[in-house]
Amino acid sequence: MAELKVYADRMSQPSRAIIMFCKMNKIDFEEVKVHLATGQHRNPEYREINPMQQVPAIVHGSLKLFESHAILRYLACAFQGVPDHWYPSDLSNRALIDAILDWHHSNLRRGAAALVFDTILAPIFGRPLNPQAAEEAEKILDSSLSKIESLWLPGNAKFLLGNAQPSIADLSFVCEIMQLELLEEKHRERIFGPHKKILHWIENVKAATNPNFEEVHAMLYKTKEKIHGKMSDDAMKSGP
Amino acid sequence: MKLKVYTDRMSQPSRAIIIFCKMNRIDFEEVRIDLSKAQQRREILFVDCAVLFAEINPMRQVPAIVDGRFKLFESHAILRYLVCTFPGVPDHWYPADVSNRARIEAILDWHHSNLRRGSASLVFNSVLAPKFGLPLNLEAAKEAEKILDSSISKIEGIWLKGKLRSSCWEIFQPSIADPQPSLCEIMQLELLDKKDRERILNPHKKILQWIENVKVATNPHFEEVHAVLYKVRAKLHSNPSSISGESIKSGPKVKLSPKL
Repeated sequence: MAELKVYADRMSQPSRAIIMFCKMNKIDFEEVKVHLATGQHRNPEYREINPMQQVPAIVHGSLKLFESHAILRYLACAFQGVPDHWYPSDLSNRALIDAILDWHHSNLRRGAAALVFDTILAPIFGRPLNPQAAEEAEKILDSSLSKIESLWLPGNAKFLLGNAQPSIADLSFVCEIMQLELLEEKHRERIFGPHKKILHWIENVKAATNPNFEEVHAMLYKTKEKIHGKMSDDAMKSGP
Repeated sequence: MKLKVYTDRMSQPSRAIIIFCKMNRIDFEEVRIDLSKAQQRREILFVDCAVLFAEINPMRQVPAIVDGRFKLFESHAILRYLVCTFPGVPDHWYPADVSNRARIEAILDWHHSNLRRGSASLVFNSVLAPKFGLPLNLEAAKEAEKILDSSISKIEGIWLKGKLRSSCWEIFQPSIADPQPSLCEIMQLELLDKKDRERILNPHKKILQWIENVKVATNPHFEEVHAVLYKVRAKLHSNPSSISGESIKSGPKVKLSPKL
Protein backbone atom coordinates (compact mmCIF):
# COMPACT_ATOMS: atom_id res chain seq x y z
CA MET A 1 0.00 0.00 0.00
CA ALA A 2 1.13 3.58 -0.65
CA GLU A 3 2.85 5.46 2.13
CA LEU A 4 0.60 7.52 4.39
CA LYS A 5 1.72 10.96 5.53
CA VAL A 6 -0.17 12.73 8.30
CA TYR A 7 0.38 16.48 8.56
CA ALA A 8 -0.36 17.41 12.15
CA ASP A 9 0.24 19.69 15.08
CA ARG A 10 -0.33 17.85 18.34
CA MET A 11 -1.72 21.07 19.81
CA SER A 12 -4.60 20.66 17.36
CA GLN A 13 -7.50 18.59 18.63
CA PRO A 14 -8.40 16.94 15.31
CA SER A 15 -4.70 16.24 14.61
CA ARG A 16 -4.52 14.23 17.81
CA ALA A 17 -7.60 12.24 16.85
CA ILE A 18 -6.01 11.17 13.55
CA ILE A 19 -2.70 10.20 15.17
CA MET A 20 -4.46 8.21 17.88
CA PHE A 21 -6.62 6.40 15.34
CA CYS A 22 -3.56 5.41 13.29
CA LYS A 23 -1.66 4.20 16.35
CA MET A 24 -4.63 2.29 17.78
CA ASN A 25 -5.05 0.48 14.47
CA LYS A 26 -1.34 0.00 13.79
CA ILE A 27 -1.59 1.98 10.57
CA ASP A 28 1.90 2.77 9.36
CA PHE A 29 2.36 6.49 8.81
CA GLU A 30 4.88 9.30 8.76
CA GLU A 31 3.93 12.21 11.00
CA VAL A 32 4.91 15.51 9.40
CA LYS A 33 4.82 18.23 12.01
CA VAL A 34 3.23 21.52 11.02
CA HIS A 35 3.82 24.07 13.74
CA LEU A 36 0.80 26.38 13.82
CA ALA A 37 2.18 28.85 16.35
CA THR A 38 5.03 29.79 14.01
CA GLY A 39 2.75 29.91 10.97
CA GLN A 40 4.10 26.88 9.13
CA HIS A 41 0.59 26.15 7.90
CA ARG A 42 0.74 29.35 5.87
CA ASN A 43 3.82 28.27 3.88
CA PRO A 44 3.30 27.92 0.11
CA GLU A 45 4.61 24.33 0.34
CA TYR A 46 1.89 23.40 2.81
CA ARG A 47 -0.77 25.07 0.68
CA GLU A 48 0.04 22.43 -1.95
CA ILE A 49 -0.89 19.78 0.62
CA ASN A 50 -3.96 21.55 2.02
CA PRO A 51 -5.27 24.69 0.32
CA MET A 52 -7.31 25.41 3.46
CA GLN A 53 -3.99 25.75 5.29
CA GLN A 54 -5.18 23.88 8.34
CA VAL A 55 -4.23 20.70 10.13
CA PRO A 56 -4.70 17.80 9.99
CA ALA A 57 -4.27 16.73 6.39
CA ILE A 58 -3.11 13.49 4.86
CA VAL A 59 -1.41 12.38 1.66
CA HIS A 60 -1.99 8.78 0.69
CA GLY A 61 -0.79 7.91 -2.80
CA SER A 62 -2.43 10.41 -5.12
CA LEU A 63 -5.06 11.41 -2.55
CA LYS A 64 -4.65 14.61 -0.60
CA LEU A 65 -7.34 15.00 2.03
CA PHE A 66 -8.28 17.46 4.75
CA GLU A 67 -11.08 17.69 7.38
CA SER A 68 -10.47 15.25 10.23
CA HIS A 69 -13.81 13.46 10.04
CA ALA A 70 -13.35 12.82 6.31
CA ILE A 71 -9.85 11.52 7.12
CA LEU A 72 -11.08 9.25 9.91
CA ARG A 73 -13.82 7.78 7.70
CA TYR A 74 -11.32 7.26 4.88
CA LEU A 75 -8.75 5.55 7.11
CA ALA A 76 -11.41 3.28 8.62
CA CYS A 77 -12.48 2.16 5.14
CA ALA A 78 -9.18 2.15 3.24
CA PHE A 79 -7.03 0.16 5.67
CA GLN A 80 -7.47 -3.55 6.25
CA GLY A 81 -8.07 -4.88 9.69
CA VAL A 82 -9.65 -1.81 11.30
CA PRO A 83 -12.21 -3.25 13.74
CA ASP A 84 -15.81 -2.55 12.84
CA HIS A 85 -16.62 -0.64 16.05
CA TRP A 86 -14.61 2.37 14.91
CA TYR A 87 -16.96 3.03 11.96
CA PRO A 88 -19.58 0.28 11.69
CA SER A 89 -20.52 -1.22 8.38
CA ASP A 90 -24.14 -1.51 9.58
CA LEU A 91 -25.85 1.43 7.88
CA SER A 92 -28.01 2.53 10.77
CA ASN A 93 -25.20 2.41 13.34
CA ARG A 94 -22.91 4.18 10.92
CA ALA A 95 -25.54 6.87 10.26
CA LEU A 96 -25.88 7.56 13.98
CA ILE A 97 -22.12 8.09 14.24
CA ASP A 98 -22.24 10.31 11.13
CA ALA A 99 -24.93 12.44 12.77
CA ILE A 100 -22.78 12.95 15.88
CA LEU A 101 -19.71 13.81 13.80
CA ASP A 102 -21.75 16.35 11.80
CA TRP A 103 -23.36 17.86 14.90
CA HIS A 104 -19.92 18.37 16.43
CA HIS A 105 -18.73 21.19 14.15
CA SER A 106 -21.32 23.81 15.14
CA ASN A 107 -21.65 22.69 18.74
CA LEU A 108 -18.90 21.04 20.79
CA ARG A 109 -16.12 22.19 18.45
CA ARG A 110 -17.44 25.70 18.19
CA GLY A 111 -17.85 26.07 21.94
CA ALA A 112 -14.74 24.33 23.24
CA ALA A 113 -12.23 25.59 20.67
CA ALA A 114 -13.40 29.20 20.86
CA LEU A 115 -13.43 29.16 24.68
CA VAL A 116 -9.83 27.94 24.90
CA PHE A 117 -8.64 30.25 22.12
CA ASP A 118 -10.27 33.38 23.49
CA THR A 119 -9.29 32.66 27.09
CA ILE A 120 -5.75 31.34 26.74
CA LEU A 121 -4.28 30.66 23.29
CA ALA A 122 -4.93 33.81 21.26
CA PRO A 123 -1.69 35.63 22.27
CA ILE A 124 0.38 32.70 21.00
CA PHE A 125 -1.07 33.50 17.58
CA GLY A 126 -0.59 37.23 17.95
CA ARG A 127 -4.26 37.95 18.70
CA PRO A 128 -5.83 39.54 21.76
CA LEU A 129 -7.89 37.57 24.26
CA ASN A 130 -11.64 38.12 23.93
CA PRO A 131 -13.52 37.56 27.21
CA GLN A 132 -16.90 38.34 25.63
CA ALA A 133 -16.44 35.78 22.87
CA ALA A 134 -15.17 33.33 25.50
CA GLU A 135 -18.34 33.83 27.53
CA GLU A 136 -20.55 33.11 24.51
CA ALA A 137 -18.44 30.09 23.65
CA GLU A 138 -18.79 28.71 27.16
CA LYS A 139 -22.57 28.79 26.87
CA ILE A 140 -22.38 26.79 23.63
CA LEU A 141 -19.94 24.37 25.27
CA ASP A 142 -22.13 23.84 28.31
CA SER A 143 -25.18 23.25 26.16
CA SER A 144 -23.20 20.81 24.00
CA LEU A 145 -21.94 18.83 27.00
CA SER A 146 -25.52 18.59 28.29
CA LYS A 147 -26.74 17.31 24.93
CA ILE A 148 -23.97 14.72 24.72
CA GLU A 149 -24.89 13.43 28.16
CA SER A 150 -28.63 13.35 27.62
CA LEU A 151 -28.67 12.00 24.07
CA TRP A 152 -25.54 9.91 23.60
CA LEU A 153 -24.50 8.69 27.04
CA PRO A 154 -27.68 6.98 28.21
CA GLY A 155 -27.66 5.22 31.58
CA ASN A 156 -24.20 3.83 32.33
CA ALA A 157 -23.06 4.08 28.73
CA LYS A 158 -19.37 3.40 28.32
CA PHE A 159 -19.03 5.14 24.98
CA LEU A 160 -21.13 7.41 22.78
CA LEU A 161 -24.46 5.95 21.67
CA GLY A 162 -24.17 3.39 24.43
CA ASN A 163 -21.69 1.40 22.38
CA ALA A 164 -19.55 -1.20 24.10
CA GLN A 165 -16.44 0.00 22.27
CA PRO A 166 -15.26 3.41 21.06
CA SER A 167 -15.93 4.80 17.60
CA ILE A 168 -14.29 7.60 15.64
CA ALA A 169 -16.87 9.91 17.22
CA ASP A 170 -15.47 9.13 20.69
CA LEU A 171 -11.96 9.93 19.47
CA SER A 172 -12.98 13.20 17.85
CA PHE A 173 -14.97 14.35 20.88
CA VAL A 174 -12.44 13.37 23.51
CA CYS A 175 -9.60 15.19 21.74
CA GLU A 176 -11.77 18.30 21.53
CA ILE A 177 -12.69 18.17 25.21
CA MET A 178 -9.08 17.52 26.26
CA GLN A 179 -8.20 20.96 24.89
CA LEU A 180 -9.96 22.33 27.97
CA GLU A 181 -6.94 21.09 29.99
CA LEU A 182 -5.35 24.39 28.98
CA LEU A 183 -7.84 26.33 31.11
CA GLU A 184 -7.15 27.16 34.76
CA GLU A 185 -8.09 24.34 37.08
CA LYS A 186 -10.90 26.28 38.79
CA HIS A 187 -12.41 27.16 35.45
CA ARG A 188 -12.26 23.56 34.33
CA GLU A 189 -13.89 22.40 37.55
CA ARG A 190 -16.69 24.90 37.05
CA ILE A 191 -17.30 23.64 33.50
CA PHE A 192 -17.21 19.95 34.30
CA GLY A 193 -18.87 20.16 37.72
CA PRO A 194 -22.38 19.60 36.32
CA HIS A 195 -21.18 16.95 33.87
CA LYS A 196 -20.14 13.83 35.76
CA LYS A 197 -21.11 11.52 32.91
CA ILE A 198 -18.70 13.35 30.61
CA LEU A 199 -15.87 12.88 33.12
CA HIS A 200 -16.67 9.19 33.44
CA TRP A 201 -16.79 8.80 29.65
CA ILE A 202 -13.40 10.53 29.25
CA GLU A 203 -11.88 7.95 31.62
CA ASN A 204 -13.45 5.14 29.60
CA VAL A 205 -11.97 6.47 26.35
CA LYS A 206 -8.57 6.94 28.00
CA ALA A 207 -8.61 3.38 29.32
CA ALA A 208 -9.57 2.02 25.90
CA THR A 209 -6.90 3.99 24.02
CA ASN A 210 -3.92 4.09 26.40
CA PRO A 211 -0.95 4.22 26.23
CA ASN A 212 -1.54 6.04 22.92
CA PHE A 213 -3.86 8.57 24.56
CA GLU A 214 -1.29 9.81 27.08
CA GLU A 215 1.54 9.78 24.57
CA VAL A 216 -0.38 11.81 22.00
CA HIS A 217 -1.50 14.33 24.64
CA ALA A 218 1.98 14.79 26.14
CA MET A 219 2.57 18.02 24.22
CA LEU A 220 -0.74 19.45 25.44
CA TYR A 221 0.20 18.68 29.05
CA LYS A 222 3.63 20.33 28.61
CA THR A 223 2.04 23.42 27.12
CA LYS A 224 -0.40 23.53 30.01
CA GLU A 225 2.45 23.49 32.52
CA LYS A 226 4.26 26.22 30.64
CA ILE A 227 1.19 28.45 30.44
CA HIS A 228 0.19 28.04 34.07
CA GLY A 229 3.78 28.21 35.30
CA LYS A 230 4.18 31.51 33.45
CA MET A 231 0.84 32.78 34.77
CA SER A 232 1.94 32.02 38.36
CA ASP A 233 5.24 33.82 37.75
CA ASP A 234 3.43 36.85 36.33
CA ALA A 235 1.05 36.87 39.29
CA MET A 236 3.95 36.75 41.74
CA LYS A 237 5.82 39.56 39.94
CA SER A 238 2.76 41.82 39.97
CA GLY A 239 2.65 41.48 43.77
CA PRO A 240 -0.35 41.30 46.12
CA MET B 1 -43.67 1.72 6.17
CA LYS B 2 -42.90 4.71 3.97
CA LEU B 3 -39.89 6.91 4.70
CA LYS B 4 -40.96 10.07 6.56
CA VAL B 5 -39.03 13.25 6.02
CA TYR B 6 -39.64 16.08 8.49
CA THR B 7 -38.95 19.38 6.85
CA ASP B 8 -39.49 23.08 6.74
CA ARG B 9 -38.96 24.27 3.17
CA MET B 10 -37.55 27.51 4.54
CA SER B 11 -34.67 25.39 5.86
CA GLN B 12 -31.73 24.97 3.51
CA PRO B 13 -30.82 21.40 4.51
CA SER B 14 -34.51 20.39 4.37
CA ARG B 15 -34.66 21.43 0.75
CA ALA B 16 -31.57 19.43 -0.10
CA ILE B 17 -33.09 16.23 1.30
CA ILE B 18 -36.31 16.72 -0.63
CA ILE B 19 -34.50 17.44 -3.89
CA PHE B 20 -32.33 14.36 -3.42
CA CYS B 21 -35.32 12.10 -2.74
CA LYS B 22 -37.24 13.42 -5.73
CA MET B 23 -34.22 13.17 -8.05
CA ASN B 24 -33.74 9.54 -7.08
CA ARG B 25 -37.43 8.61 -7.00
CA ILE B 26 -37.24 7.67 -3.34
CA ASP B 27 -40.78 7.27 -2.08
CA PHE B 28 -41.37 9.43 0.98
CA GLU B 29 -43.97 11.27 2.98
CA GLU B 30 -43.07 14.88 3.68
CA VAL B 31 -44.17 16.05 7.12
CA ARG B 32 -43.96 19.81 7.25
CA ILE B 33 -42.94 21.52 10.44
CA ASP B 34 -43.05 25.29 10.77
CA LEU B 35 -40.47 25.82 13.48
CA SER B 36 -40.87 29.59 13.52
CA LYS B 37 -44.52 29.26 14.47
CA ALA B 38 -43.80 26.62 17.08
CA GLN B 39 -41.10 28.82 18.55
CA GLN B 40 -43.41 31.78 18.76
CA ARG B 41 -46.19 29.62 20.23
CA ARG B 42 -48.67 31.30 17.93
CA GLU B 43 -50.87 28.30 17.37
CA ILE B 44 -51.52 25.37 19.64
CA LEU B 45 -51.37 22.98 16.69
CA PHE B 46 -47.83 23.98 15.98
CA VAL B 47 -46.81 23.92 19.63
CA ASP B 48 -48.07 20.33 19.76
CA CYS B 49 -46.11 19.69 16.60
CA ALA B 50 -42.95 20.99 18.20
CA VAL B 51 -43.41 18.84 21.29
CA LEU B 52 -44.10 15.73 19.23
CA PHE B 53 -41.31 16.61 16.86
CA ALA B 54 -38.87 16.57 19.76
CA GLU B 55 -39.55 12.85 19.99
CA ILE B 56 -38.39 12.52 16.40
CA ASN B 57 -35.44 14.87 16.80
CA PRO B 58 -34.46 15.98 20.29
CA MET B 59 -32.38 18.72 18.70
CA ARG B 60 -35.72 20.17 17.47
CA GLN B 61 -34.21 20.99 14.12
CA VAL B 62 -35.13 20.05 10.59
CA PRO B 63 -34.58 17.99 8.61
CA ALA B 64 -35.07 14.66 10.32
CA ILE B 65 -36.19 11.29 8.99
CA VAL B 66 -37.94 8.22 10.29
CA ASP B 67 -37.32 5.02 8.33
CA GLY B 68 -39.27 2.24 10.00
CA ARG B 69 -38.08 2.46 13.59
CA PHE B 70 -34.92 4.32 12.74
CA LYS B 71 -34.78 8.04 13.46
CA LEU B 72 -32.00 10.27 12.15
CA PHE B 73 -31.10 13.96 12.10
CA GLU B 74 -28.27 16.04 10.57
CA SER B 75 -28.77 16.47 6.82
CA HIS B 76 -25.39 15.10 5.70
CA ALA B 77 -25.88 11.95 7.76
CA ILE B 78 -29.36 11.64 6.24
CA LEU B 79 -28.03 12.02 2.69
CA ARG B 80 -25.34 9.37 3.26
CA TYR B 81 -27.92 7.02 4.77
CA LEU B 82 -30.39 7.49 1.90
CA VAL B 83 -27.71 6.90 -0.74
CA CYS B 84 -26.62 3.66 0.88
CA THR B 85 -30.05 2.36 1.88
CA PHE B 86 -32.16 2.94 -1.19
CA PRO B 87 -31.40 0.94 -4.32
CA GLY B 88 -30.69 2.49 -7.69
CA VAL B 89 -29.05 5.74 -6.55
CA PRO B 90 -26.38 6.51 -9.16
CA ASP B 91 -22.82 6.27 -7.92
CA HIS B 92 -21.92 9.90 -8.67
CA TRP B 93 -24.03 11.13 -5.75
CA TYR B 94 -21.76 9.41 -3.22
CA PRO B 95 -19.10 7.31 -4.93
CA ALA B 96 -18.26 3.85 -3.74
CA ASP B 97 -14.59 4.55 -4.50
CA VAL B 98 -13.11 5.45 -1.09
CA SER B 99 -10.89 8.26 -2.38
CA ASN B 100 -13.60 10.00 -4.41
CA ARG B 101 -16.00 9.55 -1.52
CA ALA B 102 -13.46 11.03 0.89
CA ARG B 103 -13.14 14.18 -1.23
CA ILE B 104 -16.90 14.68 -1.00
CA GLU B 105 -16.78 14.04 2.76
CA ALA B 106 -14.22 16.83 3.09
CA ILE B 107 -16.59 19.31 1.42
CA LEU B 108 -19.53 18.18 3.57
CA ASP B 109 -17.46 18.59 6.74
CA TRP B 110 -15.92 21.91 5.73
CA HIS B 111 -19.37 23.31 5.05
CA HIS B 112 -20.59 23.53 8.67
CA SER B 113 -18.09 26.10 9.96
CA ASN B 114 -17.75 27.97 6.69
CA LEU B 115 -20.47 28.33 4.07
CA ARG B 116 -23.28 27.34 6.47
CA ARG B 117 -22.04 29.54 9.26
CA GLY B 118 -21.61 32.56 7.00
CA SER B 119 -24.69 32.30 4.83
CA ALA B 120 -27.24 31.19 7.43
CA SER B 121 -26.08 33.74 9.98
CA LEU B 122 -26.09 36.58 7.43
CA VAL B 123 -29.65 35.88 6.30
CA PHE B 124 -30.92 35.28 9.82
CA ASN B 125 -29.36 38.38 11.34
CA SER B 126 -30.27 40.73 8.52
CA VAL B 127 -33.71 39.43 7.49
CA LEU B 128 -35.25 36.41 9.21
CA ALA B 129 -34.76 36.96 12.94
CA PRO B 130 -38.08 38.82 13.52
CA LYS B 131 -39.95 35.80 12.11
CA PHE B 132 -38.62 33.92 15.13
CA GLY B 133 -39.37 36.73 17.55
CA LEU B 134 -35.74 37.87 17.69
CA PRO B 135 -34.16 41.21 16.81
CA LEU B 136 -31.97 41.78 13.81
CA ASN B 137 -28.25 41.92 14.56
CA LEU B 138 -26.42 43.89 11.92
CA GLU B 139 -23.03 43.51 13.56
CA ALA B 140 -23.34 39.72 13.53
CA ALA B 141 -24.55 39.96 9.92
CA LYS B 142 -21.43 41.91 8.97
CA GLU B 143 -19.15 39.28 10.54
CA ALA B 144 -21.13 36.53 8.86
CA GLU B 145 -20.73 38.19 5.47
CA LYS B 146 -16.95 38.07 5.81
CA ILE B 147 -17.09 34.32 6.51
CA LEU B 148 -19.50 33.87 3.58
CA ASP B 149 -17.33 35.78 1.15
CA SER B 150 -14.24 33.84 2.20
CA SER B 151 -16.17 30.57 1.84
CA ILE B 152 -17.44 31.38 -1.64
CA SER B 153 -13.90 32.31 -2.70
CA LYS B 154 -12.63 28.99 -1.38
CA ILE B 155 -15.31 27.03 -3.23
CA GLU B 156 -14.31 28.76 -6.45
CA GLY B 157 -10.60 28.50 -5.87
CA ILE B 158 -10.49 24.90 -4.68
CA TRP B 159 -13.52 22.98 -5.94
CA LEU B 160 -14.50 24.76 -9.15
CA LYS B 161 -11.05 24.90 -10.67
CA GLY B 162 -12.07 24.07 -14.23
CA LYS B 163 -11.90 20.67 -15.85
CA LEU B 164 -8.39 19.52 -14.86
CA ARG B 165 -8.94 15.79 -14.52
CA SER B 166 -5.76 15.41 -12.52
CA SER B 167 -6.94 17.84 -9.89
CA CYS B 168 -7.69 16.35 -6.55
CA TRP B 169 -10.35 18.89 -5.87
CA GLU B 170 -12.63 18.69 -8.88
CA ILE B 171 -16.23 17.74 -8.49
CA PHE B 172 -16.73 15.51 -11.53
CA GLN B 173 -20.51 15.52 -11.53
CA PRO B 174 -23.28 16.37 -9.10
CA SER B 175 -22.77 14.70 -5.77
CA ILE B 176 -24.57 15.07 -2.47
CA ALA B 177 -22.22 18.00 -1.82
CA ASP B 178 -23.74 20.03 -4.66
CA PRO B 179 -27.39 20.56 -3.74
CA GLN B 180 -26.42 20.20 -0.12
CA PRO B 181 -24.61 21.65 1.48
CA SER B 182 -23.73 24.16 -1.06
CA LEU B 183 -26.49 25.24 -3.42
CA CYS B 184 -29.46 25.18 -1.05
CA GLU B 185 -27.38 27.21 1.38
CA ILE B 186 -26.51 29.81 -1.24
CA MET B 187 -30.13 29.96 -2.39
CA GLN B 188 -31.06 31.27 1.06
CA LEU B 189 -29.38 34.49 -0.03
CA GLU B 190 -32.44 35.04 -2.25
CA LEU B 191 -34.04 36.48 0.88
CA LEU B 192 -31.58 39.36 0.95
CA ASP B 193 -32.23 42.65 -0.77
CA LYS B 194 -31.37 42.27 -4.48
CA LYS B 195 -28.56 44.83 -4.26
CA ASP B 196 -26.92 42.96 -1.37
CA ARG B 197 -27.26 39.64 -3.12
CA GLU B 198 -25.70 41.00 -6.30
CA ARG B 199 -22.91 42.64 -4.33
CA ILE B 200 -22.08 39.32 -2.68
CA LEU B 201 -22.45 36.95 -5.64
CA ASN B 202 -21.66 38.96 -8.77
CA PRO B 203 -17.87 39.00 -8.26
CA HIS B 204 -17.99 35.20 -8.26
CA LYS B 205 -18.70 34.20 -11.86
CA LYS B 206 -17.77 30.54 -11.34
CA ILE B 207 -20.28 30.27 -8.51
CA LEU B 208 -23.01 31.79 -10.65
CA GLN B 209 -22.23 29.31 -13.43
CA TRP B 210 -22.17 26.41 -10.99
CA ILE B 211 -25.55 27.47 -9.56
CA GLU B 212 -27.01 27.27 -13.06
CA ASN B 213 -25.36 23.88 -13.66
CA VAL B 214 -26.84 22.36 -10.51
CA LYS B 215 -30.27 23.89 -11.22
CA VAL B 216 -30.28 22.37 -14.71
CA ALA B 217 -29.19 19.00 -13.31
CA THR B 218 -31.89 18.98 -10.61
CA ASN B 219 -34.88 20.72 -12.26
CA PRO B 220 -37.88 20.62 -12.20
CA HIS B 221 -37.46 19.56 -8.57
CA PHE B 222 -35.16 22.45 -7.78
CA GLU B 223 -37.68 25.13 -8.70
CA GLU B 224 -40.60 23.30 -7.11
CA VAL B 225 -38.78 22.83 -3.80
CA HIS B 226 -37.67 26.47 -3.72
CA ALA B 227 -41.17 27.84 -4.40
CA VAL B 228 -41.75 28.61 -0.69
CA LEU B 229 -38.51 30.56 -0.53
CA TYR B 230 -39.46 32.59 -3.61
CA LYS B 231 -42.90 33.36 -2.11
CA VAL B 232 -41.31 34.57 1.11
CA ARG B 233 -38.85 36.65 -0.86
CA ALA B 234 -41.68 38.27 -2.83
CA LYS B 235 -43.56 39.07 0.39
CA LEU B 236 -40.47 40.44 2.07
CA HIS B 237 -39.53 42.79 -0.65
CA SER B 238 -43.06 44.03 -1.35
CA ASN B 239 -43.76 44.60 2.34
CA PRO B 240 -40.73 44.37 4.65
CA SER B 241 -42.94 44.57 7.78
CA SER B 242 -44.69 41.36 6.70
CA ILE B 243 -41.75 39.34 7.96
CA SER B 244 -42.69 39.82 11.60
CA GLY B 245 -44.93 36.94 12.46
CA GLU B 246 -47.40 36.50 9.64
CA SER B 247 -48.15 32.99 8.59
CA ILE B 248 -46.49 31.79 5.45
CA LYS B 249 -48.87 29.74 3.35
CA SER B 250 -46.49 26.99 2.31
CA GLY B 251 -49.00 24.48 1.10
CA PRO B 252 -51.35 22.14 2.92
CA LYS B 253 -50.74 22.07 6.66
CA VAL B 254 -50.04 18.60 7.95
CA LYS B 255 -51.49 17.67 11.29
CA LEU B 256 -48.86 15.63 13.05
CA SER B 257 -50.37 12.39 14.22
CA PRO B 258 -49.50 11.48 17.81
CA LYS B 259 -48.95 7.90 16.61
CA LEU B 260 -45.48 8.16 15.07
